Amino acid sequence: MAQDRDVVLVEGVRTPFVKSDTKFKDVHPAELGRVAVHELIERSNLDVNMVDEVIIGNTGNPPDAVNIARVVALRAGVPLNVPAVSVHRNCASALESITTGFERIRAGTCDTVIAGGTENMSQLPLIMSKPFVQAFQRLMGARSTGQQLSGLFNLIKTDLRQVMELVTTSPLVASPHKPRVSVVEGLTDPFVGINMGQTAELLAKEWNISREEQDKFALASHQKAVAAQKSGRLGEEIASVFLPPSFKEFVVEDIGPRAEQTIEQLAKLKPFFDRKYGTITVGNACPLTDGAGAVLLMSRAKARELGYKPIASIRGYAFAGLEPERMGLGPAYATPVALKRAGLTLKDIGLVELNEAFAAQVIACMKALDSDQFAKDKLGLDKKVGTIDPATLNVNGGAIALGHPVGATGTRLVVTLMKEMKKRNVQFGLATLCIGGGQGGSVILEREN
Amino acid sequence: MSIQESLRIVPKGDIALLEWDLFGEKVNKLSTPVMFRLREVVEELKKSSFKAVVMVSRKSKIFIAGADIEEIKRINTKEEFNKVLTQAHEIFNALEDLPLVTIAAINGACLGGGCEMVLACDYRIASDSPDTKIGLPEVKLGILPGFGGCVRLPRTVGLPASLDIILAGKAVDGRKAEKIGLVDACVPAQQLEERALAWAREKIAAGAKKRRKTYRPVGAMNKFMDSFLGRPVVFSQAKKGVLKETKGFYPAPLKALEVVSRTYGMSQRERALAIEAECFIEVATTAVSKNLIDLFYMMEAVKKQTGVEGKDVKPLPVQSIAVLGAGTMGGGIAQVAADKGILVRMKDISNEQLAVGFRHASEIFGKYLKRKRITKYDFDAKMSRISGTLDYSGFQQMDVVIEAIIEDMNLKKKVIAETVKHLNPECIFATNTSSLSVTEMAEAHPHPENFVGMHFFNPVDKMPLVEVIRGPKTSDVATATIFELSKRMGKTPVVVQDGPGFLVNRLLMPYMIEAMFLMQDGMAIDVVDRWYTHKFGMPMGPFRLMDEVGLDVCIKVVKIFHKSLGDRIEVPKLITALNESSRKGKKNGRGFYLYDAKGQQLSVDRAVYGELGLGAPTNPLTEKECLERGVFTMINEASLALIEDRIVQTPQDVDLAMIMGTGFPPFRGGLLKYADALGTQYVAQELELYASKCGSRLRPAQPLANLAKTNRKFYATSHKGGVENGVGAQAERGV
Repeated sequence: MAQDRDVVLVEGVRTPFVKSDTKFKDVHPAELGRVAVHELIERSNLDVNMVDEVIIGNTGNPPDAVNIARVVALRAGVPLNVPAVSVHRNCASALESITTGFERIRAGTCDTVIAGGTENMSQLPLIMSKPFVQAFQRLMGARSTGQQLSGLFNLIKTDLRQVMELVTTSPLVASPHKPRVSVVEGLTDPFVGINMGQTAELLAKEWNISREEQDKFALASHQKAVAAQKSGRLGEEIASVFLPPSFKEFVVEDIGPRAEQTIEQLAKLKPFFDRKYGTITVGNACPLTDGAGAVLLMSRAKARELGYKPIASIRGYAFAGLEPERMGLGPAYATPVALKRAGLTLKDIGLVELNEAFAAQVIACMKALDSDQFAKDKLGLDKKVGTIDPATLNVNGGAIALGHPVGATGTRLVVTLMKEMKKRNVQFGLATLCIGGGQGGSVILEREN
Repeated sequence: MSIQESLRIVPKGDIALLEWDLFGEKVNKLSTPVMFRLREVVEELKKSSFKAVVMVSRKSKIFIAGADIEEIKRINTKEEFNKVLTQAHEIFNALEDLPLVTIAAINGACLGGGCEMVLACDYRIASDSPDTKIGLPEVKLGILPGFGGCVRLPRTVGLPASLDIILAGKAVDGRKAEKIGLVDACVPAQQLEERALAWAREKIAAGAKKRRKTYRPVGAMNKFMDSFLGRPVVFSQAKKGVLKETKGFYPAPLKALEVVSRTYGMSQRERALAIEAECFIEVATTAVSKNLIDLFYMMEAVKKQTGVEGKDVKPLPVQSIAVLGAGTMGGGIAQVAADKGILVRMKDISNEQLAVGFRHASEIFGKYLKRKRITKYDFDAKMSRISGTLDYSGFQQMDVVIEAIIEDMNLKKKVIAETVKHLNPECIFATNTSSLSVTEMAEAHPHPENFVGMHFFNPVDKMPLVEVIRGPKTSDVATATIFELSKRMGKTPVVVQDGPGFLVNRLLMPYMIEAMFLMQDGMAIDVVDRWYTHKFGMPMGPFRLMDEVGLDVCIKVVKIFHKSLGDRIEVPKLITALNESSRKGKKNGRGFYLYDAKGQQLSVDRAVYGELGLGAPTNPLTEKECLERGVFTMINEASLALIEDRIVQTPQDVDLAMIMGTGFPPFRGGLLKYADALGTQYVAQELELYASKCGSRLRPAQPLANLAKTNRKFYATSHKGGVENGVGAQAERGV
């Protein structure tokens, strides 16, 4: 029954999700986050003095806004006396922000929390090589003209080595003087040393998921997203972004879904991570993306006091760990725990948002949840968790079409889910995603009347 | 007793701490009683055993704000001025000659006489607080530094830096003051007093020697500029700069320059100061100075006003506003509000339109950024305050809504009725109309008491006037809230009653129409415009103004006026031809002038004469007639607006609105000040003459004719039930 310390979702909004290195390439992630939070405040007619904390997920950790949540909060007009914290749980950072807010409200330390996430993968920096950094530091520290000249000479020398290595070796192969691409490093598991794509390849092989099955799934994602764009369903959760500094252009919808995508085109693509035996292509994986989102969380008592009609409440959540090389299966581990905490079974769930890092990984999750063997071996359960009806899965398309701005996706899943639950009059919904490093995260929502 | 308290000596061992704390006032200023007290203190110190004196202010943001302008205003004769100046010179000389080490510890505004006083000290130490401003703003009031500033500042900081301050009436902060040598150190504000005391102890330990800081040029260029060869170059450059800036209408900066050029390097202090006094008196007794001082008072008065009469009316607090329509005006309003820390939500019908508003604001902030007025962090923070929406989300939280959509009564009414549904009942609704009836528009609002006009002028970021228009049902609270909001947005508000064109446009309309008649009479566009700018002092001539406003808009408004004000507004034949041409003014690059793509004025479009059915201009009229017909027709209209229609309450309102809204030359004191100076009789006579020649539109209106009968002044006339109020009225009484 309804309790005062229930955590309710009052409103949610996000920016368009935009393919990296396109429209948002010069927009700071703090600005994307600002737009989401600012619009959230306006759309919910929130008195900002009510806010107890702002919690923002982000993985790129921009060096000029290291606690990005604080920058986002102040720019969005949240008062100076309201604290703000950035949280990082890799791909689930923007789910972590919501669950952190949930805990704060449950514990009674907060009543009103703005939670969200922001990521601009276009702006992830290039990391200079160690020798270059050292040469640069020597130049910076040079006092006498002699030191300055030798520092400069040294810098040019390392620079030339860098150019030499760049021309003589393949760009992504590590070598001592070459700069490192942080987005590539970020997508490589630091514990087992394999790339996220390779973890998906592993799942595809272990769960026997064909290339065709994956491509079909990817195509459906685009088709559903394009349909949702056309019907205006997606537009409702999106706030336009006017592009600084000139503000000559603006973005109103996701740049990613392709109306003209065909199965033939997808079939033509070469496997990206395992050229010989692989099935994962850039077509059945999610693209690098920029975007942000935010939700307004309140205790039920506070929402009632302020006269809000919440859209949904959070029934429970769970994070779970697994082998990093199988990280894509995370949802299959976290979901049964979250369901148990919510006192529900998978049968009760009417809508599912399962993040599409890779088509293979989503299909593997569905198979695993539907497998008695998996339940016994990995989850210590007697029988399978249950079946997800494909008709209830990612009804407006998923990350393969919309994209996956790592630190913002968790909030996007919750925003889409809560809005769709309301529209479709669905009682319970599940938002879940796999997390690089070998984790899964799931949250269960209940529609409010 | 009180004046003793205002300036008190607190002994600190060898050091006398001299505290400035003017009794019963918010600021320290150098009024006559204060000056006498200073003389006493100097005498006292002279006889004392103190070895040093440190001056501090006990007001939080003011060191010494300057001389008492009220006194300057009251003085009319050369003799009186001479007495005051000689006294001040004696007192500051005595201060300068004190055998003690004198140190001024400056925090807050140190302007005019205050600055001149610290220049008579041995050492000056400034705080790094942003409130600290040291400078000589005298020329802004049409006078020049008369307490020794023209002599002591150049001696202290050299010619270029001192002319920079004196001629432009500038003030510098602590850091800049240290850089140019105006102060000896700029120290953290929190430690100002202890550092000044430490400085004094150090000087005492070193033998308590006096010093007179004298500028020593460093570097070849500075040495040249300070040499006998370089000085004439510096002075002639400065003069050119002043003339360019003032078009020769303002005598004070030129006189100040004369003082500096005659006294720089002079060894006899008394002689130099006498020259300064002589020149001061010359400018201080001019009408220009009196007018500028009156204007200063009007501006100060606005700061204290609330826009309503009741003292207990409190404006509602405003945190966020919504702007309907993100065009040039809407975007401009958003920019100005965001600049001052107000959250703004723009609403329009498409994202394309919203982008126009965002772009407009970002271009202006971009300019600030380029000129280093703001940092990139400020730019982001200011732009962040503006959001855009296509629906009414967020409107429940709005304190004020400003409507800035196109000028269409029906559309505006529809939008008002629709918007109100999404607002909280206390929200004040303002319309930024320039020509439509606020009274009629208010009918669309279920609570017309919350409805008010807020007329910004284009371009919003540059034009300082806001007409706050009260409809018959507008409440005091609504008026006060918009009045206060205008002030917060850095504007000067004037409350006007509803009526066609409100005040400023109503007065401008006959003026612009008259310009067209001048053209019809054979005058050349550029000749008329040049006379208005170079001979009268308007920022732009009437034709240039019409181009700026937009010819289509002008025509539309003329028609509205003709309808509501009747035959008094005669429509020139030219209008019909103009209406049929494709000329829209600056916005489409073709008006009376031609413009390039960037909106830069190129030249008069010669083709316009033929197009309007006129021959080549022959310029048959005199400068006097051209100026008088335009300006007097405004005076004529103003007499109706003020005395008959009571659109505004006082002649000050008219003058302030005209100066702030049209750039009417400030040195003339305003439209009605100017009329009073000429004499209403003269104005009416001339109008009568022009009317018999050019048509009845120029006939003096009844209220003006009434004044003219006995040559009464606008300012001396009571327009409010016999109560004479306002500074101007007092100043003119008995003259």
